This record gives sequence, C-alpha cells and structure tokens, in this order.
Amino acid sequence: MSEPIVRYNNVTKYFDDLQVLDGIDFEIQPGEKVALIGPSGSGKTTFARLLMTLEEITDGTIEVEGDYLWHEQDDNGDLKPASTDHLRKVRSNIGMVFQHFHLFPHMTVLENVMEAPVTVQGRDKKEAKKSAEDMLDKVGLLDKADTYPAQLSGGQKQRVAIARALVMDPKVLIFDEPTSALDPELVGEVLDVIKDIADQGDTSILLITHEMDFAKEVADRIAFFDGGKIIEDGPPSEILYNPQAPRLKEFLERFMNTQSSPE
Amino acid sequence: MWDWNYAFEVLPDIASALWVTISATLVGFVLALVVGLIWTLLIRSNNKIISNVADGIVKFIRNTPLLVQLYFIFYVFPQFGLSLEPFTAGVIGLGLHYSTYLSEVYRSGIESVGPGQWEVATALNFDTRKTWTRIILPQAIPPVLPVIGNYFITMFKETPLLSAITLVEILQTAQNIGASTFRYTEPLTIVGVLFLLLSYPASVALRQLEIRVTERY
Repeated sequence: MSEPIVRYNNVTKYFDDLQVLDGIDFEIQPGEKVALIGPSGSGKTTFARLLMTLEEITDGTIEVEGDYLWHEQDDNGDLKPASTDHLRKVRSNIGMVFQHFHLFPHMTVLENVMEAPVTVQGRDKKEAKKSAEDMLDKVGLLDKADTYPAQLSGGQKQRVAIARALVMDPKVLIFDEPTSALDPELVGEVLDVIKDIADQGDTSILLITHEMDFAKEVADRIAFFDGGKIIEDGPPSEILYNPQAPRLKEFLERFMNTQSSPE
Repeated sequence: MWDWNYAFEVLPDIASALWVTISATLVGFVLALVVGLIWTLLIRSNNKIISNVADGIVKFIRNTPLLVQLYFIFYVFPQFGLSLEPFTAGVIGLGLHYSTYLSEVYRSGIESVGPGQWEVATALNFDTRKTWTRIILPQAIPPVLPVIGNYFITMFKETPLLSAITLVEILQTAQNIGASTFRYTEPLTIVGVLFLLLSYPASVALRQLEIRVTERY
C-alpha cells in the first residue's frame, strides 16, 4: 500500500472532562473513500473536525501527507504545538462540506465559489472565475451563478457549498452529514453530486453519514464509531452484512428498524 | 416678541457657524467609527489582559458624562503638557465617547453572524484578517447600519456641548449674539430650527435605510 494521506496516531479528545475520542489510530489512503457511521455522540464528527482544525487536539498526532497537522518538529526533533503558518499550510490539503452549508449570504453563488481561490490562494481573478464556473457547471448550477444563496433551495445550497470546497482542490474532502438538513426530496440531487465526485476524483473522501445505502454505494471502507473508539472498520459488504461487534449489530438493527418503520 | 428683521439679520452669522457644528460631527463620527471597531476587536482578543483592559476603558468612558470628559480633555490635559484647540479637544471627546457606544453596536452585529461562518472560513483556510474583512464584517455591519445612523444623529444633536469648551459652534454663536443684543429669542430659535432641518431629513433617510436592511436580512 502507498503512503497514507492522513494518519491519526493515538488521537484523544476531551471537552473539559468529557472524553469524546479515546486513543484512535486510523489511516486514509490517497483517493480512498471512507464513510464514518455510528450513533450520535460516538465521536465521528469530532474525529473529522480535528482534521479540519475546527477542534483542538488533546493528545496524539495527526499527519497529513507526512506533515504533522497540530504539531511542528523543533531542531531536536521534538514535537511542539504548530504555529499558525504551519497549521494553515497543512490545513490547505483539507476541505469540508457542512451539514448546514454555511454559504456566504452577502455574495452571489459565483462569488461564493470564487472567493477563497482569489482571497486565500491568490489566484488570478479571471482564471478563478473560469474554474468557479466549471465547478458550478459540474454541480449543475451554472445558471444560478448570479443569484444569492437566499434564493436557492437547500439542495442547491449544498451543491454550491460542494463546488466551493472542490474549487480549492483539496486532497481530502470531509462531508459532515451533507444531507441531514435537507428535505427528503432534495437529498437525491446532493448524493448524486457526491457520487460523481467520488467516482471521478482522486480526492480522498471522509463521509459522515446516516445514509447506509449511500455509504455502501460510495465508500471503499466504512468505520463504525462508538464511545469515542472505532469499533469495526472494513469494506461495506463486511460492515453492513457481516458485522462482528455486538454494538455494530445492534446499531444496524436499530437503524434498519427506524428505516423501515413508517413515521 | 418675535422680530423677523432681527431674525434675518442674525441668521447669516448663525448659519455660517453651522459648518463648525457639521465638521465636528463628521470628524468626530469617523473617529468614533474607527475607534469603536478597535475597541470591539480588542475586547474580543484571546489575550485576557488586553480584553479586560479594553473592556474596562470602554465601560469607564460609557458610564461617565460626555461633558465631564470634554472638560477633562480641554482643561486637565494641558496640565500634563497636552494643550488642544477647542475643535480638536471636542472632536476627540465626542469621538471617544461615541466609540464606546458603537463598539457595543459592532459587537451585536458580529455576534449575529453565526459560528458556521467562522468555521467555513477556517475550512477554506482564510487567515484572521481576511476572515474579518471578507466574511464577518460584510455580514455584521449592514444589519446594524440603522443603529449606527441613529448614533450619528444623536451625536450631531450633542455638539452644542462643545460650546462648554469654548468652541464657537452654532449655539455659542447664538449665545454671543444674544449676549451683545440682550435678545435671545430669535438666535436660539434659529439654532433649534437649523438642528431640526438637518436631523429630521436624516432620520427619515435612516428609516428608509432600515426598511431596506430589514428586507434584505
């Protein structure tokens, strides 16, 4: 196997006295699509937010392409907390799509997608506009380029948010429950876009989801979180159809029941 | 009681002092806008010492009368070697006093921007400065523009306080005229009317702005 693009080494996270991640080791390979499942509060979201640097790591290290994310090595090779510059440099490999989209309401759709390439990456405006338009075309929203987010449906908003994250060309793209905030009839269009990205791109994907069918369709590997640990980790066929851990069996059963029971 | 001839006679003098009032308002308010934002950012600093000191200064200024502050700047500062012209002292006093109100307005505007915007700024790798200038402030300021405008009008109406530190603005001009002719009715009435003529249209315009802002957000 090639060098992993992301490696968690004994990662622990506390919120005050509450432990949410308990010594996690985990690797993501380049281009690999990993789905994270598990009950809420199991730590899967915190796991991903540490990689996006939205939460601070308590203990352990995370490496991205062999560089420490939260740490830097001093002259003696000892680890010290990363400087802002170092953090930003390593973080530039990671992108994220949020449950609630978080589009910039004061910018048009096109400006939303163009903003970071121009402001953060310092790319030429014309060239950034071109790639923003290409990206919007890819998610099927080029015709909405000049509208404001307030005029879009939830599904359209999320597709713009995906374009905005993709245009930065991240090596790893995190999807944090990308369809949980959507009306059921809008879920499909967003899943289609994610499926496209997963199929064509060499971007690694970390997908936090409750959509088991979708996880099965997109992911190379599914990791099951419970109580701040990864309890089971393997190909979708194994995890979903031949679960070993009792807690995973229980989770899947409960899940299938809620799925089939009428609301 | 009311002498139109006398009124028209003194009107040009009073009106010509209006520019002092207006320029004191404008300069003072620009100062307040800038310093107010600085207060807000200092108070939000992660450094507890900076944050607490800034917060303490702001509370102190906000909870003491503007007139006392003006006297202090004009009459006490010279004892420490800082002698200021009445206009400069007045503008600093007004600007500083109103900066503490505006700081509060900025704060509420900034807090109205959801945490998600900060998170997405991190996810897109914005640095701190660009997070503020490109994402947070452009969303925080428009909703509070009507409140900022209100403070502008209030400040304009408070400029006569500057006559207390010998600035010859319109109230002081009117008083000087009154003192030399022993007729106060016309000059003081003119002062009131001039203020009304300027602040009323301003508040109507502000109301329009408020409607537009509410529609947008």
